[in-house]
Amino acid sequence: MKRLLLISFIIFASCKPKEVETTVASTVDKTYQISHAKGFTIEKLINGITRITVSSPWPESEKKYTYALVLKDKLNELSLNKSDYDAVIGVPVEHVVVTSTTHVPALEALGVLEKLVGFPGTTYVSSIEARKRIDSNLIAELGSNEAINTELTLSLNPDLVVGFGVNSQNKIYETLIQSNISVVYNGDWTEETPLGKSEWIKFFAPFFGKEKQADSIFSAIEASYTDSKQLALKGETKPTVLSGALYKDIWYLPGGNSWATQFITDANADYIWKDTKETGSLSLSIESVLEKGKDADIWISPSQFTAYDELAKSSPHYTQFSAYKNRKIHTYALTAGATGGLLYYELAPNRPDMVLKDLIHIFHPDLLPDHSPYFFKPLN
Amino acid sequence: MLKNRLYRISFLVLLVVLLFCFFINISLGSVAIPFKATINSLLGIEIDNSSWAYIIYNYRLPKAITAILVGSGLSICGLLMQTLFRNPLAGPFVLGISSGASLAVALLIMGASFLPTWIAAFIMTDVALVLFSGIGSFLVLAAVLLVATRVKDTMALLIIGLMFGSITSAVISVLSYFTNAEKLQQYIFWSFGSLGNLSWNQLGLLLIVILIGVGLSIAALKSLNGLLLGENYARSMGVNIAIMRYVIITATGLMAGAITAFAGPIAFIGLAVPHLTKQIFTTTDHKILLPAVAIYGALLMLLCDTIAQLPNSASVLPINAITSIIGAPVVIWLLVRKRKMIF
Amino acid sequence: MSKIEKENITLKAENLSIGYRTKKQSTIIGSPIDFSILQGEIMAIIGINGVGKSTLLRTLGSIQPKLSGTIYIDGEEIERYTHKSLSEKVSLVLTEPIASKNMTVWELVALGRQPYTNWIGRLTKNDQLKIEEALILVEIEALKEKPCYQLSDGQLQRVMIARAIAQDTSILLLDEPTTHLDLYHKAHILKLLRTTAHTTKKTVVLTTHEIELAIQLCDKMLLLEENRSHFGQPCELIATKVFENIFPKDLIQFDGITGAFQVIK
Repeated sequence: MKRLLLISFIIFASCKPKEVETTVASTVDKTYQISHAKGFTIEKLINGITRITVSSPWPESEKKYTYALVLKDKLNELSLNKSDYDAVIGVPVEHVVVTSTTHVPALEALGVLEKLVGFPGTTYVSSIEARKRIDSNLIAELGSNEAINTELTLSLNPDLVVGFGVNSQNKIYETLIQSNISVVYNGDWTEETPLGKSEWIKFFAPFFGKEKQADSIFSAIEASYTDSKQLALKGETKPTVLSGALYKDIWYLPGGNSWATQFITDANADYIWKDTKETGSLSLSIESVLEKGKDADIWISPSQFTAYDELAKSSPHYTQFSAYKNRKIHTYALTAGATGGLLYYELAPNRPDMVLKDLIHIFHPDLLPDHSPYFFKPLN
Repeated sequence: MLKNRLYRISFLVLLVVLLFCFFINISLGSVAIPFKATINSLLGIEIDNSSWAYIIYNYRLPKAITAILVGSGLSICGLLMQTLFRNPLAGPFVLGISSGASLAVALLIMGASFLPTWIAAFIMTDVALVLFSGIGSFLVLAAVLLVATRVKDTMALLIIGLMFGSITSAVISVLSYFTNAEKLQQYIFWSFGSLGNLSWNQLGLLLIVILIGVGLSIAALKSLNGLLLGENYARSMGVNIAIMRYVIITATGLMAGAITAFAGPIAFIGLAVPHLTKQIFTTTDHKILLPAVAIYGALLMLLCDTIAQLPNSASVLPINAITSIIGAPVVIWLLVRKRKMIF
Repeated sequence: MSKIEKENITLKAENLSIGYRTKKQSTIIGSPIDFSILQGEIMAIIGINGVGKSTLLRTLGSIQPKLSGTIYIDGEEIERYTHKSLSEKVSLVLTEPIASKNMTVWELVALGRQPYTNWIGRLTKNDQLKIEEALILVEIEALKEKPCYQLSDGQLQRVMIARAIAQDTSILLLDEPTTHLDLYHKAHILKLLRTTAHTTKKTVVLTTHEIELAIQLCDKMLLLEENRSHFGQPCELIATKVFENIFPKDLIQFDGITGAFQVIK
């Protein structure tokens, strides 16, 4: 009896509130082409609404978020079933708050940086243009990362907040939504390919009516990336690569299907853990990293370390690696903005072509002899 | 006497078991290394696989020795504190001593930025680190002791310890909020060491500090036994309570501080081992208990580390998780059978 | 002759006032106290609750400081003794519960030898002999391997007395050794202490509420009252009728002939 009750409850619960999908008004007129990113789609509906669907705001999200973008002057004419959408936003947006440094370069590239009015943790922003605006108080500080200050944000009264969540618990954004501020989730960081991440510039474009610019910017990046990848194949040797560093007892390094691994593979190098299945990071013991990675030719991204003696001081085991002995360690931690934010975190997802060129320069120095590395520099 | 002979045999057996565990610990790990290669490499015989040789000699061996030092040191701290506070729930982790050490290290690292560079460079050494964490432990311990003389309740002491722990971690959070990212990073690297990350030099330093702590504890052995009857009785039997308190707090502060500095805060070993030992050695004589808890602590720590390494899998578990899983039930068990609190 | 007598006085108080001293003031309890006891004598300190019996005993045992006056132990002022040397002169049995009840009877009694053992507390043959003697004297030999938490109150009290005896001091101070015991065990403990004092030539001082038993078993008595104290042999004190004023007369009366109190019905 009890079990029966439970089963019927589950059935009941699971068939409860499916959203009603198709009405006449939501017929798709045109779908924008998204070739690499998997986390969002953009569709133009016949009634003039731009519908953005974010399917992976965070890993393994069960809910898809749909947003309706309506031209501001048509906002009143259009009869819109608001419950069909998670947010209805009047475009073009004039005042925007973004929450991740990765969002800033996209705005800058689209030429709408002047619409950015607030950011949580402005010290981490490195973009020169954005810093100028922060210094002249045109971009307000909204508290620290992941803890965007509700009161300050409300006082700015932005048209749009571009948030990001790590899971479905996002209480801060809920508060903002209840105060009638439009919040959209950006899931760029869940993309698993370099070009996929970078394509999220197209996600920002419709909010500002900049679709064309976004397309051409992304096409250029795509072309540059593909060309570099072709170039890398000309490399005669295929160096073995080690990555990451210890935190406490655990060595964190990119999994075989991760974004970072893709770069290494595309730069025609042999990442030692390329056959692992993880899309995020691996956590390994130092023993197994030592055994497999001791003779790796090159070591990239040793966490936050910026100098060889810093590594040695932190753990004597680091000195055992050939890459350490031969001084073949390269890090992105030496490229910081004016206030200490690492440029790699901010810009690399947007400019995979630049990352790839850096890596090719490291792995195959003869292929790009004149390239001056932008993100990756040798350890001190 | 018969009992003494029994103890002697027990110690002999324990030492053999300890040696055995030591070898087991060294021969097991993420990387499967044949037992023969392990022995050969320990005996100094060259083995073919150079990364195996490195792993055994420079990773597993120091890690095993660290585990022994940490386990023994913390257990002795726990024994000293339980007798000093006459409270079965006293222990370095429970009373917030470890957080005191962390706080001092945080102040050292984050405060160093306000000093001239050459002084900062001078104090950012291992010795300074140990010194500071030792002082941090000592101060928290002294503060808890001060409160404990006024509040006699067993539970109250536990709560006070928890509060000290909370306060220190809160101060660390506040400090890390105001400091810059690099300093914070540095603090994280420095303060939360691990069993497997000590260089031979650091290991030497840890050994010296533990030896000093053990030496002080041995000097206090007789007084510790006297204290079993309470301070008034102890005084009437010629124990100089004030001096003895300082000796014990210094010993505990030094050991707990150095261990926290190098291996990070490790939970419950210091609390659980003395009780487990007293279950097996039915005595309250510190002459027996001190070496016994040292050996049991070393054994348990080696065991925890072996489990944490998840032999033959590439992953490791945090050592603190294992010690908590073993230690926390001991505390619950102690609270449940509070009536007969043995200590 | 007088010289010998002087040597035999083991514990003496002159114009001693006791009480508690805080930072701001000192609270004197009772009035100045004078007494002197000879070697091998047993003395009971009596008086109503709160009159300062325990305070006096704790002061004599130098657990708490005196306010003024002088205490002589074996003819020397108490201040001239170090912790160590005092521990060879005075041993204590207190009312406070012992911190660890997990030790065996033998281990507990052995702690009495602390003043004499080496730095690490190693027991010599002589120490072990003294411990066995103490165990035999208070008749708890059979219990010696038992842990203390298994003992009854009366047994534990005897263990504590054995520990004090093993400390081998000339003076034994006991704070209410007979509380929580039934009449048989009260009598048993007091008789034991009397025998101990007389056979081992130790001076025994105890506080007690058992005035009737004390009158029968003690050599000397010290009666503390709020504004004076009386000291002497029990018969002397009976003769001066001091016992008659201890309790309110409308409820309890003292019969000088039987040496017993009677409740007025």
